[in-house]
Amino acid sequence: MDLIRDVLDKQLVDPEERRMGKVDGLILELEEGQPPRLVEIEQGAATLARRLHPRLARWVEALGARIYGEAPGGPARIPWSKVRDVGIDVEVDQDFEKSRLYFWQEWLCEKLIRRIPGAG
Amino acid sequence: MKKAQEIVLGVVTSIGGFLEIGSLSTAVQAGAAFRFQLVWAVLLGTLCLIFLVEMAGRFAAVSKHTVTDALRERFGFNFFSFVFLGVTLVDLLVLGAEIGGVSLALQLLTGIALRWWALPVGFAVWLLLWKGSFGMIEKGASLLGLVTLCLVVGAVLLHPPWRQVAAGALPSLPQGESAHYWFLAVSILGASISPYLFFFYSAGAIEDRWDESYLGTNRAVSGLGMSFGALIALSALVLAAGVFGPRGITQLDSYDQIALLLTPVLGRWGFWLFAASLGIACFGAALEIALEIAYRAAQGFGWNWGEDLKPAEDSGFASVYTLALVVGVLLVVVGLDPLKLTVFSMALTAATLPLSVVPFLVLMNDERYMGEHRNGRLSNAVVLFIVALSFVLAVVSIPLELLGGS
Repeated sequence: MDLIRDVLDKQLVDPEERRMGKVDGLILELEEGQPPRLVEIEQGAATLARRLHPRLARWVEALGARIYGEAPGGPARIPWSKVRDVGIDVEVDQDFEKSRLYFWQEWLCEKLIRRIPGAG
Repeated sequence: MKKAQEIVLGVVTSIGGFLEIGSLSTAVQAGAAFRFQLVWAVLLGTLCLIFLVEMAGRFAAVSKHTVTDALRERFGFNFFSFVFLGVTLVDLLVLGAEIGGVSLALQLLTGIALRWWALPVGFAVWLLLWKGSFGMIEKGASLLGLVTLCLVVGAVLLHPPWRQVAAGALPSLPQGESAHYWFLAVSILGASISPYLFFFYSAGAIEDRWDESYLGTNRAVSGLGMSFGALIALSALVLAAGVFGPRGITQLDSYDQIALLLTPVLGRWGFWLFAASLGIACFGAALEIALEIAYRAAQGFGWNWGEDLKPAEDSGFASVYTLALVVGVLLVVVGLDPLKLTVFSMALTAATLPLSVVPFLVLMNDERYMGEHRNGRLSNAVVLFIVALSFVLAVVSIPLELLGGS
């Protein structure tokens, strides 16, 4: 498998095929004398911002902390061992409700969407 | 049988979806200023659009990806964010122009200035997206869009010199005003080859779970639908040439003049029909563009998206179209002239076409996505040629037009 080609920037879905963001980053572990090992998938706006420019990443992190002080610190990481299948989408054995995207979507929903009538 | 139904429905949708403020006003301006001389631009733009829409449908059916999903996956986030920003910015301008178009139709019907209409119009679009299902929106807007066929009726009743119309299919150099001629040609190309249309089409194909058995349907819908759409734009051009030319009006400065397009042929009814066509076509387009901006964000960042989810289930998606509509409404409320906004955003669309089309062509030629259904040489050549031509014309003519100050 070619990590950059086949995994990075793919759609992540949970076992019920619910979309839970993209594979925004990959975490490799380096040990001397061994080939690099893929350990985690990373997700989040700060991860994306870092790919554009490190300074942008610091701004995004500061902004995230300001908007929501108690946000779980650092980027969200999903252990590679939870990956079930890599096809058109990357399917992981983790419920959508536990994802970082769900956290932010619920936050947005509470602050904005549910205040408008008819949001369901 | 089901496929036949889909073809009919798809073609009807395209007729309703093709005509919007961009293709209408650029065609009318071209007809008034240069009679039938710019017919070729409508034909060339449509040819390119047919190819692109067919590709978008084929891509979704074969690879099971939307174009946006694949753009990010194939080219990585950095390149994607560049395309995303560029295309979305142009889309916001076009959205403003469409909201301006509906507002203008209401101004024609009521006499109340269009700036006052922008907010209610934006709200109505938003409400349909918020409460309605996508299928209802699409089918409703396209059935109502058939009213624009009145332009075809008008053009036929006008008995234009068909031989001269046909002669316009071959490009020719203008006598004088060449900067304006090329600028209008670019605007027509930009109005016909709307990137939001083929992005939107690929999202629809994924929603409808197309597979390879839909390739024939896809060819029929894109070919027939876009051709019928172009027929309406051509009718507007022919009408403008026949109506404004003989009266000595070559430069249309405001929509009040354009509103009289059908009046000499259909009388008072012509006025109402024109206002209705303009309003409905732009309303449908505003719905599609607002949705498309939200689709692109959701697909690019991997959020939930879907026609029939409630806003609380896809809060990111709902926030994006809400925000986009706010921006679109503001563009009209601050008093930008809708005619200038339209023509300018169409020319800008032409200038930014390579940004969306070239990466898309790379995807269409990628064996990992398309397998044996990769693009042939002909489709690559046709699209590349027309897009390159639009880009060069845009880069040359936009500054000239701005300096000339039309």
